[in-house]
Amino acid sequence: MTIYFTRRILQSIFTLLVISMILYGLISSVPGGFMSVYIERADYTPEDIARIRAKFGLDDPIPVRYAKWLGNMLQGDWGNSLITKRPALEEIADRLPNTLLLMSIMLVATLLVAIPLGILSAVKQYTWFDHISTTLAFAGQSLPVFWFGLLLIIIFAVTLKGADGKPLLPGSGMYTLGADFSIADRIKHLILPVSMLTFVSAAGYMRYLRSSMLDVINEDYVRTARAKGAGERLVIYKHALRNAIIPLVTLVALDLPSLFGGALFTETIFAWPGVGRLYFNAALKTDYPLVMAVLMIESALIIGSNLLVDFIYAALDPRIRLS
Amino acid sequence: MKHLKTLLALVFVAAFVLSACGGPAATETAPAEVGTIPEVTEAPTEAAAPASGGTVIIGTPQEPGMMNTLLTSAAIEDAVVSLFDEGLVSVNEKGEYVPVLAKELPTVSEDGLVVTWLLKEGVKWSDGSDFTCDDVKFTMEGALSDLSQVSASGYRDIESLDCPDPYTVVATFGEVYAPYLRLFSYTVPDTAGAMEDMESWDINRNPVGTGPFILSEWVPGDHLTFTKNPYYREEGKPNLDSVIIKILPSREVGMQLLGTGEIHALWDLTEANFPELEALKDQGVSFVSTVTGENELLSLNLGNNGGSAPADPSTNPHPILFDLKVRQAIQYAIDKQTIVDTLLYGNVKPGTSAVPVGTFACEQPVSEFSVEKANALLDEAGWTMGADGIREKDGVRMSLKIVTTTGNQLREQTEQVLAEMLKTVGIELVIENVPSDVLFAGWESDGMRDHGTYDIVMYTTGPSTDPDSHLYSSFHSSEIPTADNEGTGANFSRYINADVDTWLDEASTITDLARRKELYCNVVTQVNADLPRIYLYERLSIVGHRNEFQGLKISPTFVDFAWDAANWTLQQP
Repeated sequence: MTIYFTRRILQSIFTLLVISMILYGLISSVPGGFMSVYIERADYTPEDIARIRAKFGLDDPIPVRYAKWLGNMLQGDWGNSLITKRPALEEIADRLPNTLLLMSIMLVATLLVAIPLGILSAVKQYTWFDHISTTLAFAGQSLPVFWFGLLLIIIFAVTLKGADGKPLLPGSGMYTLGADFSIADRIKHLILPVSMLTFVSAAGYMRYLRSSMLDVINEDYVRTARAKGAGERLVIYKHALRNAIIPLVTLVALDLPSLFGGALFTETIFAWPGVGRLYFNAALKTDYPLVMAVLMIESALIIGSNLLVDFIYAALDPRIRLS
Repeated sequence: MKHLKTLLALVFVAAFVLSACGGPAATETAPAEVGTIPEVTEAPTEAAAPASGGTVIIGTPQEPGMMNTLLTSAAIEDAVVSLFDEGLVSVNEKGEYVPVLAKELPTVSEDGLVVTWLLKEGVKWSDGSDFTCDDVKFTMEGALSDLSQVSASGYRDIESLDCPDPYTVVATFGEVYAPYLRLFSYTVPDTAGAMEDMESWDINRNPVGTGPFILSEWVPGDHLTFTKNPYYREEGKPNLDSVIIKILPSREVGMQLLGTGEIHALWDLTEANFPELEALKDQGVSFVSTVTGENELLSLNLGNNGGSAPADPSTNPHPILFDLKVRQAIQYAIDKQTIVDTLLYGNVKPGTSAVPVGTFACEQPVSEFSVEKANALLDEAGWTMGADGIREKDGVRMSLKIVTTTGNQLREQTEQVLAEMLKTVGIELVIENVPSDVLFAGWESDGMRDHGTYDIVMYTTGPSTDPDSHLYSSFHSSEIPTADNEGTGANFSRYINADVDTWLDEASTITDLARRKELYCNVVTQVNADLPRIYLYERLSIVGHRNEFQGLKISPTFVDFAWDAANWTLQQP
């Protein structure tokens, strides 16, 4: 057991190291890069450009820069944003609550939609209900988010007007500018982004649960339950669902790290001041330290949650740790 | 299952609590001002100021990262900073320098080396301290610091900057720096801190300025609120209570919000937005624009396009474009007025000159459109019409590639119109666009402009207020990017003219405005005769705004976006 855990942990650390190397290499090789803002401007002489390059340490070869960055990061210094000069972690901490708010509400809403729909369409397989919800699920998975988001904005924040003649729902931001904090206002701003995210991600979970339910319903123990004379509701919710939902729980657990990264497109389209949008803007400006910080935290969380799931499985199922 | 539920519940609660204090918590820093923002202030009963008070919300698709001019890099930062940061001079909507913190424009000694400023007295920073010559000195030292991200050219030439009294600044230059006014267009308070701590100065995010507004709240990723500077020198100004800069996801969303009235102005539009602005007219939206002094232009490559990057194109000339007659024919074949009328709704002027506006403007006529003259010149140059309607000479087909940035609809349409126009005289134009970072890549990234691996490139450039560096880097022969100079300079056409070199050399070492103007005009006229560049149309700075938001006068240099913010007003509906 201990050997298995140690090996998995060491593997994970090695994976993270390789990821950081690849990411750093890729980001540093982006053409143009951070200096392009200055190079394009006529009033900057070559001496100015050279001075600014040196200031940001861009003269060193990429492996040297990587080694410096890694050394600092391991000592807890993740670097300052090139643009705002604030510590990258501080920038992220500023946006994290907003992202967690949006994403956690989204996750709850998604499960609330996906679980009942998944169960129902499995139980009523091949009925019109099943067909409609499966079709919608496909649509949700296939719609490009950036297009669907703009469509929602045009319909609900521009075309449709409320009783006061103002747009029905706000199309951007987290709260009405200047207004005092109110839960109602916050909820209004959440409706569009949460609806979009829910529609898109509920589709996946729903289809997953549907097929897992279908497998379970045909199992012997479900038939046994029916044979014992258990009611249909009891059979579905107690005997079938409990078993069918286990893979979904794994899936959700593996998706949890995305709560941190936020939804890049959604946050960008709806001007939600979260981590996803921070990352998007940092990437546009090739703000290396900030981009690296977001990517590394996200990678660490994903690898961490995979590790966690593995450990839980290993603890539950002896076959895994022995093989 | 149970654990998952608990975990989710915890995350949910934590997020809500955190974000509840995250966002609005920042409002606590300035509760009094912010509380008054949502309410439309009552029209004052005094007749004196009919449109005083109110909050203007300005949308922008980019977020400023920094409020310290010495460390900014993006245009949006300079624009936002101009709400509180003033210089000794600023540039008005006509592109002229006007005194701001100085009493008047400075006096310059005979030899052009000593510049003397008289400062306005009694000006205070927003923290209550006095604005004096020491601040000007500090600003210059900041610009010269190793940490600064502003261009040090010009500052480097200042030998000494003295303060004989608090309100007199005497700058002594080692050699003449013609665009010296530019150096005094912003100030940083000398109370900011030690120079080596520049990156962590408090004013980077809590700025101190002499301008009409001062930052009172900054919610990263969302908005910045500016409220009245209590120490502003003009009694009763600014008119507005506050200005909010709202960060938007894109111009498209901004356009929608402008129509619904959620924002009062949208910063930095382009000519490509004219159709949408036209459509929003009946929803109370209009726009202000000013020529930027920049042109949308075609740069014609006189050197061989094979990437040899010759320092002198005559040693390795472009097979088609090196011939002046061909370049003249191309200009004759382009109907600039039609491009302006159809693609730009007649809102801009056809391009005529490298320096179209400002103190040094050199007026030039619009080039003549004549298919006959174009054909005659091409015949004369020995290009005969081929079977497919494209001319040929010595086995070379008259086919040219035009390249510009991808994803810009207006530019793509312009290219198509140009291709049609040139086809009528037997020149084929093949459109091959690339992303902007590829087009504008530098020498070491194999940039196509630097290495001359193009026929015709379409892009925008122009002088900032002072044309010196623009003209020099665009047309001086020493500014041709080559391996020897590691690709510096912007003479991408590889244009060489000995007279032009002489004029530019002289102009950059004198400060006599009239003489400089004459020399620059010589250059502009010669360039229009030699045609390394063809100017298509003058670029505009455009800011869309709602009709109730008035007094917005934008300067050709976006740096001075808010130069007249003290006089902005908001009409109450």
